[in-house]
Amino acid sequence: MGEKIVFKNYKEMPIRAMSVADMTWNLTGSWRNIRPYYDFKLSPCRVGCPAGEDIQKYIFLLIEDRAEEAWRTIIETNPMPAVTGRVCFHPCMEKCTRKDFDQSINIPGIERSIGDLGLENPGWMKKTKASKKEKVAVVGGGPAGLSCAFYLARRGYAVTLFEADKALGGVLRWGIPEYRLPNTLLDDVITQIVESGPITVKSGTALGKGVDLESLEKEFDALFLGLGLAESRALGIDGEETDGVEAGLEFLRRVNSGEKVDPGKRVAVIGGGNTAMDVARCALRSGSDVTVIYRRTRHEMPAISDEIEEAEHEGVNFRFLAAPKDIITKNGKLEKVVFQEMELGEPDESGRRRPVPVEGKTFELELDRMFTAIGETADLGPIEGRVGSEWNLIGADGESYQTSRKGIYAGGDVVTGAASVVEAVAAGRKAAEAIERSFTGAEDKAVEEPKVIGFEDINTAYFDHSNRSLLPRIDHKEAVNGFGEIHLGFSPEMLARETERCFSCGVCNFCDNCWVFCPDVAIIRKEDEYEVDYDFCKGCLVCVIECPRGCISTREEGK
Amino acid sequence: MKKVIMGNHAVSYGVRASEVKVISAYPITPQTQVVELLSEMCANGEIDAKFIMVESEHSAMTACVGASAAGARTFTATSAQGLLLMHEILHWAVGARLPIVLANINRAVGPPWSIWTDQNDSLSQRDVGWLQIYCESNQETQDTIIQSFKIAEKIKLPVMIVLDAFFLSHTFEIVDILEAEQVRAFLPPYVADKQVDVTESHSFGNLASPDSYMELRYMIQKAMEDSREVIREVDEEFGKHFGRSYGLVKPYRCEDAETILVTSGTVASTTRAVIDEMRDEGIKIGALKIRVFRPFPFEEVFDVLSKAKKVAVIDRNISFGHHGIFFQEVKSALYGRTDIPIAGYIAGLGGRDVTPTVIREIADKAISDKKPEREINWIGVKE
Repeated sequence: MGEKIVFKNYKEMPIRAMSVADMTWNLTGSWRNIRPYYDFKLSPCRVGCPAGEDIQKYIFLLIEDRAEEAWRTIIETNPMPAVTGRVCFHPCMEKCTRKDFDQSINIPGIERSIGDLGLENPGWMKKTKASKKEKVAVVGGGPAGLSCAFYLARRGYAVTLFEADKALGGVLRWGIPEYRLPNTLLDDVITQIVESGPITVKSGTALGKGVDLESLEKEFDALFLGLGLAESRALGIDGEETDGVEAGLEFLRRVNSGEKVDPGKRVAVIGGGNTAMDVARCALRSGSDVTVIYRRTRHEMPAISDEIEEAEHEGVNFRFLAAPKDIITKNGKLEKVVFQEMELGEPDESGRRRPVPVEGKTFELELDRMFTAIGETADLGPIEGRVGSEWNLIGADGESYQTSRKGIYAGGDVVTGAASVVEAVAAGRKAAEAIERSFTGAEDKAVEEPKVIGFEDINTAYFDHSNRSLLPRIDHKEAVNGFGEIHLGFSPEMLARETERCFSCGVCNFCDNCWVFCPDVAIIRKEDEYEVDYDFCKGCLVCVIECPRGCISTREEGK
Repeated sequence: MKKVIMGNHAVSYGVRASEVKVISAYPITPQTQVVELLSEMCANGEIDAKFIMVESEHSAMTACVGASAAGARTFTATSAQGLLLMHEILHWAVGARLPIVLANINRAVGPPWSIWTDQNDSLSQRDVGWLQIYCESNQETQDTIIQSFKIAEKIKLPVMIVLDAFFLSHTFEIVDILEAEQVRAFLPPYVADKQVDVTESHSFGNLASPDSYMELRYMIQKAMEDSREVIREVDEEFGKHFGRSYGLVKPYRCEDAETILVTSGTVASTTRAVIDEMRDEGIKIGALKIRVFRPFPFEEVFDVLSKAKKVAVIDRNISFGHHGIFFQEVKSALYGRTDIPIAGYIAGLGGRDVTPTVIREIADKAISDKKPEREINWIGVKE
C-alpha cells in the first residue's frame, strides 16, 4: 500500500469511483477460500473401449485437422482401426455421454475414417528395426496375434508369426464375411502391420503342423498363443454328419475363400450369435430362404444388435424358443429336422434365462441345409497337458497374460472364449507389454486412474441437439445381391460434422470459455493450456460452471 | 432515405446510424422489435457490433456497463419491469459515469399486468442520474438516439430515451432514415476517457469514504446542470447537419395564450390538434411539450408558462401520495416566481386512450375553474 492520497478539492479527483493509484499491491486472490484447478478427466468412451483407445483425443485432433496425429493416437492402442471401425460392437458408444443428451457419437464411423486414412497414407507408419536381443514367437495370425506381434515389433523385438492357414487374419479372414470386411482391405491392414517392423511370417505352420511347443520354446525367449476358436461346437444329436448338415464356420470359410456355394433353397441356421448372423446372411446372398432358429428369445441373442437388425432387414426369418431334436435323412441326405419347442426357465450362470423343453411340443421343417452355429471351440490338442487349460480354453492370468508354463503367454478368444475383435486386439497389446516386462524386469506400474466424467459434469447449455451421422450405405435389397461392402465411409463433410458433435468430456479442447468468463481476468491463456492466476483468482468458480466439459475441479484452500 | 417504419424500428435505425459497438438487451413487449431488428443488423453485418444475449435486464445493463467501461459505444432497450430490474445497475452506470444510451418504451407497471403505456416505469427512475428525453414521433425518436450518444459522451452520463408503448412504438410513420456515413461528421467514433486498461491496475466502483463520496455526487449534479447547455448545442448542431431540431421544450401557440396545457410524449401531438380547434373558436390557449425531463428545463418552462394566466399539466403517471410527476416538476419551476394557478390532470394510465375529447375536457375544465378546486384531477375515472 502506498501513501495516503489527500484531495484538496473535487477538481483533483477522478470523476468516477476509481482508484488513482496502482492497485497491484492488492492481490485479491487472498480473498479466495476455494481454488479451481485444471484437472482433466477420463472420457467415458475411452473407459468403454476394451482397447482403451483415446477417442476424445483423436476426435479433437481430427477437428484440428491433424489426421496423422489422430491416426497415431489410435495406433498406440489398436493397430487395425480400419478393421475395428467396421466390425467392432462399439461399447464406447454405450458409454458416450452424448447418449444422455441426444444420440451418442458415431465413434466407429470416425475410427474407420481414420483407419482408412492410415491405409491411404502408408508413410504415416514409421518402420521399426529389431533392436533388442530377445525374440518372440507368436502363434496364431488373428487379431490377438497380429496385435501382439505389432506391439512387440514396435518395441524392437524380433517376432516370428506362425499362421496355420495360407494367409494371416484368422477369424477376420475366415469368419467375417466380405460385406462387413472386404478381403482386400484386410490384406492392406495385415500388410501394414507385418511391414511395420521386424515380423517374420510363417504361414501354413501351426503347433502340430511343422512346429511344436518345445522347439519354439528353445528357439524363442517367449511365446504368445493367440490360437482363437477355429472349431464349430457340435449339436450333440444324431445325424450331425449327414450330408446337408454343415458347421457354420466351415460354410463361412468356404464363402470367404471365394468358393461358389449353393446351400439350397430351404436353409436353417441354428444359433443366435454373430456366426449365426454371418452364416444366415451369406446363405441369403447365395439364394437361400433362411430361418435362424434360436433356443432362447431375441432378448438373449448374443449377436451384435446391429447385425441382428441387418439380418432382419435383409429378409432373414427368425424362429425363437426352438432347438433341433432329430435329424431325419432320406437316402443318406438331410430331409427334415424335428425341433423341440422351448420356454425360458430360471436364469443360468450367465444371467440369461435357461431354455427348457416344453413337454410334447415339437415341429418339423423340411430343409435342404442346416447350419450349426451354436458356438466355437479351440483345438488344444497340440498343447494338451503342457499348458494349463479349463473348459477347453487356455488358462492365462488376466493381468500378466502368463499361462501355467513359464515364458508362454496367451490371449484372445482361446483364453476368454468367444469374445470380440477389439478384446483380442487389447489382449495382444497387453500381452506384448507383459512379455516386455518379463524381459526387462520392469514392474507393471499401477497408475492412478483419473476420475471418469459423467453426464452431470457436462454444461449442456453449450451444445445444440443433433442426430448422429450414419455411414452412407447401400440399401438392404441391393445388399443381398452380392458380397460387396454394405457400409461406405464418411465423406469429409460428414466426418467433420460428426467430430464436431463430440463433447470432449473431461478434456480441455481450448474453447476459451474459462478465459472469456473469468470476471477477474485471472485465467491466463498460453500456447496449449490455460493457467489460473492465483494472485487474482477470488474463487468465484464461474470457470468451473462455464466449462462445458468438466475440466476444472475445486478444492478448499488450506486442505 | 425516407421510409415508413414503426417507432421501435426508428430506435434501431438511430442506433445503427450511431455505429454502436456493443448492444446487450433482453426482449420485452413492447420493446421487442427494437432489439429484434438490431440483432438482425448485427448478424448481417449492417452494424459492426457485438450483440450480447443475456438472461435478464439486470444482466443486460451490467453487460452495457462493462462494455462502456471498456470504451465501447453501448446501447440497450427495455420496458417496464425490465427497466425496474435494471434499477441497481442504472445507478452504477451513473456512478461510473458511463455514456450508455437506453431506449425505454413506456409501459405500465404490473400488477395488474399491462402491456400498454404509461410513464411510471421511467419516472420511477427519475432520481438515479440518467438524462431522460421523451419523444413524440418516430423521426424525433431516431434523431434523439443519435443526439443522445453525443450528449452522453460529452457529459459522461447515461441517457434514457422514452417513447410511449404502441402509440409510438408500434405506430408507423415516415422517417428520414440517417445512415452512418451521414452521421459520422456529427457523431465521430467514441473515444473513452481513461477507463479500464488491462495494462494498468486500478479498482473501479471502489469504496469511497465520507470525505470523498459527496464530491463524486456533486460532480454528477454539476454534469447534469451543465448538460442543459450541451443538449442545446448538440440539438442546434444536429439542426445544422440535418435540418431538424427539437429543443428541451416545445411551445405551441403559447405567445398570447392565457391557458397553457403542459404535456409530454404522444399526448403532445394530440394536444396540438385540440389547441388548433380551440384557437379556431377564438380561445387563447397554447401547449408546452416537455421533451427533456432530466435535467429539468426550469428556465425554458418558466419562460413559456410565466406569461400565461393558467397552467394545466396532463400527467400519464402518478406519484402515489403526491401528484402527477410532471405537475410537481412544473410547479417547482414556477414556485416563488409567479402565482399563476396550476392544476394537475391524471389521464391515460395503463394505456387508456387520451383522445382529443379527453384533452378538450381538461382544457375546458382548466379554463372554467376560477381557481382549481383541486390540485389533482383524475380524468375519466369511473367514480
